[in-house]
Amino acid sequence: MGTLGLLLALAWRNLWRNWRRTAILLLAVGVGVWSLTSTSALMQAWSASSLDAGLRDMTGQGQIHATGYRDDPGIARRMPVPTGRLLKLLDSAEVAHWAPRVRVPAVIQSEYETYPVTLAGVLPVRERGLSFIPDSISQGRYLKGGDDGGLLLGRKLAERLHTGLGRRVVLMSQGADGTLAERGFQVVGIFSSNPHNEKGLVLAGLATSQAMLGLRISEEGEITGVSFDLHDIAGLSAYIRALRAAAPRLDIQPWPVLLPMVSAMTQLSDSFVWLWLAIMFILLTFGIVNTLLMSLFERTREMGLLQALGLKPRLIFLQVTLETLLLVGLGVLVGLLAGAATILAFHDGLDLGFLAAGAEWLGAGQVLYPRLVPSELFGTGLLIWVLSVGASLWPAWRAVRKTPIDAISRAT
Amino acid sequence: MSAIVQCENLSRRYGSGDTSFYAVNAVSLGISTGEFLSLSGPSGSGKTTLLNLLSGLDTPTDGQVALAGQRLDTLGRNALADLRLQHIGFVFQAYNLIPVLSARENVEFIMQLQGVPAKKRRQQAEAMLDEVGLGGLGARRPGQLSGGQQQRVAIARAMASAPAILFADEPSANLDSTATDELLALMRRLNEDRGMTFCIASHDPRVIEYTRRRVRMRDGRIEADEQS
Repeated sequence: MGTLGLLLALAWRNLWRNWRRTAILLLAVGVGVWSLTSTSALMQAWSASSLDAGLRDMTGQGQIHATGYRDDPGIARRMPVPTGRLLKLLDSAEVAHWAPRVRVPAVIQSEYETYPVTLAGVLPVRERGLSFIPDSISQGRYLKGGDDGGLLLGRKLAERLHTGLGRRVVLMSQGADGTLAERGFQVVGIFSSNPHNEKGLVLAGLATSQAMLGLRISEEGEITGVSFDLHDIAGLSAYIRALRAAAPRLDIQPWPVLLPMVSAMTQLSDSFVWLWLAIMFILLTFGIVNTLLMSLFERTREMGLLQALGLKPRLIFLQVTLETLLLVGLGVLVGLLAGAATILAFHDGLDLGFLAAGAEWLGAGQVLYPRLVPSELFGTGLLIWVLSVGASLWPAWRAVRKTPIDAISRAT
Repeated sequence: MSAIVQCENLSRRYGSGDTSFYAVNAVSLGISTGEFLSLSGPSGSGKTTLLNLLSGLDTPTDGQVALAGQRLDTLGRNALADLRLQHIGFVFQAYNLIPVLSARENVEFIMQLQGVPAKKRRQQAEAMLDEVGLGGLGARRPGQLSGGQQQRVAIARAMASAPAILFADEPSANLDSTATDELLALMRRLNEDRGMTFCIASHDPRVIEYTRRRVRMRDGRIEADEQS
């Protein structure tokens, strides 16, 4: 065992000279790391749930529109059904789902009431996996095809309209030629979703909507936009660039632009984790510095003895730093194991039913699924471990700044 | 005999202005290989301060110290530590041992820093402990040893590193008379059998009697320097 081994042995044994003090600091580090990893996993689960809810809320990871549509989402801002290079990109292997849509403001009228809504004309089969619609039918049926003459309403809208399955309603909107477009629909399905969708969204077949609005149908058809999802969201930026290159006249945007609030909440969540890390690290630093100073104060004479025997001051500095590395390393390990156990315990989902209303309002799902990501866990632990070395530098410097005779004589 | 330690006009002043005083005042002294020397004098005579200056534990205000041919004032802290590691052994009045290391590990400590291989280190440590009469107690921690036993472990550690000179500051201060006699006999034997050089600061007449060269100090100066 060379000099480093000797220093490690000294560092390890010195930790346990006052085992209570060491145990307290170990516990502090462990609890801190556990809280950080658990909180981070929960925040990420929350963000993921919010993002998923947002993306499936008729948004998708990205959208394609005619220029100006997002500011004025009306029939005037329409685009052709994708063809050529754009279609090739949408049909490429990296795209999980894509769907053309017609989405325009409209008015719905029942025998009793009239309300403003958004009409979404969709291809039912393409919406599977892309949006919430297919999985949210609570009464009746889903649309059968793009030419289905039926209409899907949200539960709250159906209540407001005093209407229900099998009843007829009338939809009115501006047609492609600027005149009033209207059509009667039979309510074939009621869906449940967030309050915004339930009150304000109605769904019809794409071809039926195109016909109602006077748009061209089929391969040369006209739509108001395309929504898409990739298999790997990490490739979104590059994919968006490729789409823009293929269709420079269209407005192609990723979800952070389309869902600014969800994007902000995700960033807030990340910022919170970093803030929590900073707070925890500051608290741990105080604990580490205090513990080390106490320990070194009790060993002042011993430090002098070590120098007298020929241990260089820089090696004493290293030995004190090793004490911190061992102590914090052990605490980090305990914290990581506890954090991993906590995350795994909720691997099947953490039910936030008691927060259902609030969670729904914030756009998150009722059940969160914390995920154990070993690289993130390891990275967090390593970061704390390395930063803690900084906390030990001042006590270590204090330990070696005394000359041997100062250290030996002050303590006797 | 060649001088292992040589000091010229060595002084150590404490304090400043009207309250300053010289603990060591213009002392010139040489210690040769194989000497068994004591620094004696009443409390405050400067013997411990002189010992600390000669061993490089303290820095003089004036004058120079050369140890093993090297001037200590030209060395930085890390180089001084290295010099002590290679050439000097220490036995203090108390707290000689590293509490978290066993007796054998304490003896091995300096050899380990010197880079001696583990097997040889262990063998030498056990041999040294046998020589000082502590064979079989190598696994004990300092807290499990008596004061006299701790001092002997300190001597074994010093011996194991084969220093050019061993400095001892009041080594018998915390020992009873029996333990003191055993310690002094051991030191004398090491000096005679191995030619180890000793410089012992003490006010204990029994210690002074054991030494062959007696340097007596008063008020920071050498009052007498006698060979017995």
